[in-house]
Amino acid sequence: MIELKGLTKTYAGQNVVDDVSLTLDTGEFGVLIGPSGCGKSTTLKMINRLVPLSSGRIILNGDDVTELPVEQLRRRIGYAIQSTGLFPHWSVAQNIATVPQLLKWSKSRIDDRVDELMALFHLDATEFRHKYPHQLSGGQAQRVGVARALAADPEVLLMDEPFGAVDPITREVLQAEMRRVHQQTGKTIVFVTHDMDEALQLATRIALLNGGKLVQYDRPIELMVKPDNDFVREFIGQADLGLKLLSRRWVQQYQREPSLEHQATFPGLDHRWILDDAGRPVALEGARLDDDHQRTEVKPEWTATPEMSMKEALSRMVWYRVMVLPVVDEAGKLIAEIGMQGVMGIQAEDGTQGS
Amino acid sequence: MNGTNQSLSRFRAAFAGNGVLGVLIVLLIGLTLGMGQLEPLFRALFPDLSNPLYSRASFLDLMLAHIGLVLISSLISVTVGVAAGLFVTRPVGREFEPMVSSLAAIGQTFPPAAVLAIAVPLAGFGFAPTIIALSLYGLLPVIQNTIAGLGTVPQTTLEAARGNGMSRWQILHRVELPLAMRVIIAGIRVSVIINIGTATIGSTVGAKSLGTPLIAGLVGNNLAYVIQGALLVGLLAIVTDLLFERLERRYSFGG
Repeated sequence: MIELKGLTKTYAGQNVVDDVSLTLDTGEFGVLIGPSGCGKSTTLKMINRLVPLSSGRIILNGDDVTELPVEQLRRRIGYAIQSTGLFPHWSVAQNIATVPQLLKWSKSRIDDRVDELMALFHLDATEFRHKYPHQLSGGQAQRVGVARALAADPEVLLMDEPFGAVDPITREVLQAEMRRVHQQTGKTIVFVTHDMDEALQLATRIALLNGGKLVQYDRPIELMVKPDNDFVREFIGQADLGLKLLSRRWVQQYQREPSLEHQATFPGLDHRWILDDAGRPVALEGARLDDDHQRTEVKPEWTATPEMSMKEALSRMVWYRVMVLPVVDEAGKLIAEIGMQGVMGIQAEDGTQGS
Repeated sequence: MNGTNQSLSRFRAAFAGNGVLGVLIVLLIGLTLGMGQLEPLFRALFPDLSNPLYSRASFLDLMLAHIGLVLISSLISVTVGVAAGLFVTRPVGREFEPMVSSLAAIGQTFPPAAVLAIAVPLAGFGFAPTIIALSLYGLLPVIQNTIAGLGTVPQTTLEAARGNGMSRWQILHRVELPLAMRVIIAGIRVSVIINIGTATIGSTVGAKSLGTPLIAGLVGNNLAYVIQGALLVGLLAIVTDLLFERLERRYSFGG
């Protein structure tokens, strides 16, 4: 749990962070957001004391951060930044092992932990262990950066616009991965961004700052449906509110049993999936705009996963002109399907909601 | 196919580099030990000279003395230079940066011969004044490159190092120095090469070096002596330079 109490930072007589108080419970994903110069990054950096605070207090799990030795404090807090800040002269494994090394873990414990983290981020250990940062793509480097921040199992993870420098497609993949990692590890995360879509995707709590002041601190849905004032309303944007709502809904809430037989009696269900021996979808019959019985080959680009947002699912339906997407697990097996009913917010009646 | 060709030609280039270095090292050692065997050649080239082979000291002695001079003066330049470069890039020493930089620059604009002339009355003849002159002269490239090398370490890397809980000392020796090392070594390389050449003038104040036959040849109008001294100094400089090049390459990290 992190508590900020009357946190203030003064530069040259000006309060760049002005009396910010908020509490983030253990396991929450808190996002600090606001226009540039609103003090969000400064607030984040005061938590691990990269920026000294001017007044106020920060309590991390009961400890006042200013009363701890600074290096010891930082080893309790993971830190991931934009453009990764990976050490260019260290291999991927050495980079991930940074904090465990500082904490003088045994070599075998460090090796195990590095393997564990590389598995968590789907980085093949044999391929990537000995690579150097300049041999990685932007997305891979960013994964290593987050893995490094998580290495010593920190109490809190601080992330300063970590996905600001990667291309939009990679960013979406990383966001989905970050949500999965958050669910799997249950870490308390403080995340800085200026991108509202990113905040809505990831946050369980959003703190909107402006001119150093906390404007509203709420759950994402509340922020959308009950903005405190015009600034919040404008910052979220009136456009695409429906789509923004969809970005907070997940496929697993709206998926239903996959249709394996043609059932012309139910509207929208007159289609069926053709599976291979391993239970993976290979083709879809029907559910296309043009021809009801046309056979469409299933491509990975238009499959969905239970963790995907409904916004992304809708986007794939529109782009690939299919009315229903297969929902597959990590092995590629068909576990459910998601259709337009789901997009409209109709939940399955037969209890097929995913985990 | 293309990849194979590329790696093949890279292999050849590396091998060729080794070959040149190997040949030069053999040549350097061979000439140092066996200059005497070339007496007939020098006699044929310079028939007017009664004594065309320098023989007041063995070339091995001169070579070792020369290397000793360069080694000790470079050790001083590097120790003082790197320490000064580190000091002025730390928060406590930042305000001294302009002063240290200009002092080092003055050290290099002073001709070593002038430094020798000043140092002799203070330190006497021979070894000591030569070491002083060489150390001062070699200081500037080391200081400059230490400052420049530490300056190339990206801010994000430093922020990550601090954010991950490294102490100042850990940041310096685990992150800053390894990343700056290539540029620092480039400075040491320049400094050492300069000193290999400049060490010859130490002979004017009585320090034994490869400059001894050179100066003797100039004074006694004996071109053969000059060639013998200059040949060995030149070879030593080239071999040292190639060795430093390989050392520098070890510290390049892709980007």
